[in-house]
Amino acid sequence: MLSMVLGWIVPGMGHVVLGRPVRGLIIFLTIAATFWAGMAMGGVMTLDPVNEHWWFVADMITGVHGLAAWQFYQRTWNRLASDPSVRQRQTALAREPWQAAAVMDQKLQEEHLALTAPTDTIARAYSGIAGLLNLMCIFDAMILALMGIGGEPPPPQKSLVTAGGQQGGKPS
Amino acid sequence: MTIGALFYNPMTFSCNSLLWLMLPILISVTIIYKTLRTHNIRRLPLEILGLLVYVVAGVVVLGVGLWFVQAYCL
Repeated sequence: MLSMVLGWIVPGMGHVVLGRPVRGLIIFLTIAATFWAGMAMGGVMTLDPVNEHWWFVADMITGVHGLAAWQFYQRTWNRLASDPSVRQRQTALAREPWQAAAVMDQKLQEEHLALTAPTDTIARAYSGIAGLLNLMCIFDAMILALMGIGGEPPPPQKSLVTAGGQQGGKPS
Repeated sequence: MTIGALFYNPMTFSCNSLLWLMLPILISVTIIYKTLRTHNIRRLPLEILGLLVYVVAGVVVLGVGLWFVQAYCL
């Protein structure tokens, strides 16, 4: 359970606590590179908890990366929502919730933050796939922990024929 | 310029570059998969390279097949 939770919070940490630090480091670097590449392509609005629920769930599986990006998104969203021009337009125009959302969409386009095709697909695929890859790593760490396997496995040994004709070497 | 500025505005891509952007994703998937599955960590780079070639070849074959279907069969 500990390796599972740690593997979610910091990708690769589940493998580190199981005595596989090299694998943990490779997992951390790969998932970080994939997730932040997606964020660099799509910008702060790559995470969209309102309109892209499932991609958002996948993003959150990256742990600290997803949480940091969400915090960045929230700060930006709150700053734009509290802009006097947005408030003025929402008061004057928005009678329904979808009209308020349309005002925010317009503001995002003015700030050059709105995602357009095909950038939205690429960026969300990168960051979302990083989350799904970490899900695979979390399950792997969980299974290893449940099986009581720690440390690197011994290198596979070639079977040797001894002088007496018996098979030597440990079974892998 | 802070590091946050790198992740603030979206980039623009042409549709022609879409296929090339699959390559880094395939590399990531291959690295993670082989990192979890390999028995000998020393052989990891070689195993990643082997699987990457295999996956890229599979994706190219799949892409050509789907292009053929949409060009001639639909």
